[in-house]
Amino acid sequence: MTFEHNDLAKLMDILETAEKFKNPDRKNSKRRYKSSRQVMNDENKRIQKKRDESEEPLPNLVTYHSLSAPPSFRPIKTYCDITGLATNYKSPNTRLRFYDKECYDLVKSLPPGVDQQYLALRNANVVLK
Amino acid sequence: MTTQDFHNSSEETFSPQNVRLMKDYYQPSQPEPFHQDWQRGVPIAIDLGRSMLRVGMAGQTDPSCVFPSITSRYKDKKLRRSLNMVGYDVFLDSSLKSNLKTPFDGAMITNWDSIETILDYSFLHIGVDSQNKVDSPVLISEVVAPPFQQRFNLMQMLFETYNVPKLAFGVDSLFSFYQNGGHSGLVINGGHNSTMEIPVVRGSPVINVAKRIDWGGQQAVEYLNQFLTMKYPYFPSKVNNYQVENMIHDYCYVSTDYQKELKHYLDLDVLEKKDILLEAPFTEVIKPEKTEEELEQEEKKHKETIKKLQLQARERRLQNLIEKENDYQYYLGLQGKMKSMNKRLVLSTLREAGFDDLEDFTTYIQSLERSLKKARNQDVGENDETDNNKPPSWSLIEVPDEQLDEEQLKEKRKQKLMKANFEARQRANQEKEEAKREADEAARKDENWRNTNLKTWLAARRKTLEKLKKRRKDRIRMKEELSDRKSRASQMRMKNIASLAGDEVQGKNGHKRRAAKVTIDNDPNDTFGANDDDWAIYRDIAKGSDVETEKVEEKKIYNIEEELLKYDSSFTINDTLQRQYNWRNSILHRFLRGPRDFDPDEQHQQHQIHLNIERIRVPEIIFQPSIAGIDQCGLSELCEQTTLKRLTSEPVFSGDDSNEVLKDIFLTGGQSMFEGFEERLRREFQSFLPVGTEFHVRKARDPVNDAWRGMSKWAASEEGQKSFIDKKEYEEMGPDYIRENRMGCLRL
Repeated sequence: MTFEHNDLAKLMDILETAEKFKNPDRKNSKRRYKSSRQVMNDENKRIQKKRDESEEPLPNLVTYHSLSAPPSFRPIKTYCDITGLATNYKSPNTRLRFYDKECYDLVKSLPPGVDQQYLALRNANVVLK
Repeated sequence: MTTQDFHNSSEETFSPQNVRLMKDYYQPSQPEPFHQDWQRGVPIAIDLGRSMLRVGMAGQTDPSCVFPSITSRYKDKKLRRSLNMVGYDVFLDSSLKSNLKTPFDGAMITNWDSIETILDYSFLHIGVDSQNKVDSPVLISEVVAPPFQQRFNLMQMLFETYNVPKLAFGVDSLFSFYQNGGHSGLVINGGHNSTMEIPVVRGSPVINVAKRIDWGGQQAVEYLNQFLTMKYPYFPSKVNNYQVENMIHDYCYVSTDYQKELKHYLDLDVLEKKDILLEAPFTEVIKPEKTEEELEQEEKKHKETIKKLQLQARERRLQNLIEKENDYQYYLGLQGKMKSMNKRLVLSTLREAGFDDLEDFTTYIQSLERSLKKARNQDVGENDETDNNKPPSWSLIEVPDEQLDEEQLKEKRKQKLMKANFEARQRANQEKEEAKREADEAARKDENWRNTNLKTWLAARRKTLEKLKKRRKDRIRMKEELSDRKSRASQMRMKNIASLAGDEVQGKNGHKRRAAKVTIDNDPNDTFGANDDDWAIYRDIAKGSDVETEKVEEKKIYNIEEELLKYDSSFTINDTLQRQYNWRNSILHRFLRGPRDFDPDEQHQQHQIHLNIERIRVPEIIFQPSIAGIDQCGLSELCEQTTLKRLTSEPVFSGDDSNEVLKDIFLTGGQSMFEGFEERLRREFQSFLPVGTEFHVRKARDPVNDAWRGMSKWAASEEGQKSFIDKKEYEEMGPDYIRENRMGCLRL
């Protein structure tokens, strides 16, 4: 038996029976959509408030933000932006890294804007605000 | 070895590469089945993963349902009904599929309506059957230390919308550790949005020193997808995230020694083994086959049209030539006449004829001569059948006009024209024969030279080759320079354009011609173009590449190279320009097209992509986040700092625990499933731990589902039972109140 388009309606009928185990008296909460950035901003404010209200300082307070890994102390290894091979060369005009002459020829002939797209892959592009 | 041999050697036959099909969405044939596993009062465990959701009853060994945590809302016009589907059911219909959404933004839940839909769906599918409430405690997973709003909304939803009697939270990776019998250890979870590392000491997580790298499966998919778009900018079909996810899942692996492996990845022998060739699904365009008769007819028609056009063009050229010859004759006559005139008269005659002075006139005649010579060399129909070698008779031409009637006059005019035609052709033929003879002579001389004095001949050839190569190089550099607005070449170009566009056009020989009065078409003094070099100015200002000259030049180079290969033993294949077109020598070719030649017109090859360096590059980002521009330390450095620095300064920690933790380095989560991950981690630990330190790396039995199994086991255990808070407590103490547990649930 294959699934037909009309069967979607039947499936929807069944899915709607979920109403039976939900609280009929629940308040129609208006949970509006909040972006990830807003959530983090609100959280930062809440933590700040918590710190302000606390009598002693809270050096070891664990928050979502505090769990973020610190920057690296090790030297960064560099790779060709086109192929991914290890390299130390960098184009003076576009700041793109390239492996050899052939890649450099490609870098030089990139249409405008593409260099920024390559840089965006490693968050090194220029962001105009 | 000649160029011909050289070509043959590169055509060495390879067995065709194994082509794999790009895997797309999972295509269900039936909707998700409904289960009747629910029992009143028994806890329900929900692993609310960012990519997959697992739900089932506590105490069971496997979840009842596993499905992607996505929803799709769509109003179907045909059914006149709004559809709201979840999980695999979204893939049942193409319009549903195109509307799919995830309730998450990164690791955060952002769309709570979708979460409610997903929870409805989950409870329904495990068979919850109680009225007006879900009459079972619920254990649900969360990220470590989530923002308060996240937990609060979940609590509110479960307690108030579903009337759940009891609720508990926990972290998935710790459940997985619990399921795999962990006591003390370092839990590393490769998740969908982040990679988390949590040390556990005697059964309790040390959240203070836990750390998170913001890189997970989703980021990897987005990264690779973007990378492939850059790698194949003209790829005819769009590669979707599911296809990329499948690529990563099927073909990526963690390199045990990244730098070393990377160095040789594009070597032909390595590439032969490691290159993965994938083909996107596409419908092949099959050209309709024509019968032989049709083809023949078509060709005939085609040929006829060409012939017709050629005839027309030839006719036009001939007319042109005659006109030019007439002009030439006239001006020559004028020149002859002027010899016997005085200077004053000459000048006035010239002025009348539209010239500035004598010099202007001579240049004009010279250029006319040149263009005439050129025109004669063009095809003007000397091989026509009508054109016999002996001149036809033109009887009427010699007869004076007075003796002829009207008919005859007409005929006479016609004959005059024909005569002019014939003579022009004759002259053109002579000119051509002369040119051919000269070329033959040159070739003979050249051969003679080669035979008598090979050394000087070779030297001369090499010199020409050098010159040609240099010119080619210069042109390429020029092109590059022109792309830079500030370069000297660019500025010169702007200057040229400005002077060309200017009102006063500075002629080559110093005359100022007013462009407003005389246009190029009617200016008799404008000899621009008569000399071929005049056009060079347009070539100079044209920014784009001049493909034609490039081709001519390349052909010249090839010819000389071929000659040198033939006669000069010290000139080898490696010295030729051709060498650069051999794909085996091109890093970019091997990177883009793998270890085979590429035919851009072949439909299958157009729809193929090669995965090679990406196979190790994508998983490597977790060890070197800087590859993707993330300013966080890699997994290895993080482990080093945690085990050797952060953890040892914790009060709960004693020296003995250090050994215990290192003896159980535990990997879980979907991203830990890469082949080679354990081995790599082993090497990394070896590199920073003191020599001889004992440590052990292991992977969860089932890195994906063990988290849910741990939840199921823990919810049924005594420890778990005590960790639930009930609805009464929630109502009395508010959402701040929570019971902390050993599964990572913190008071926020």
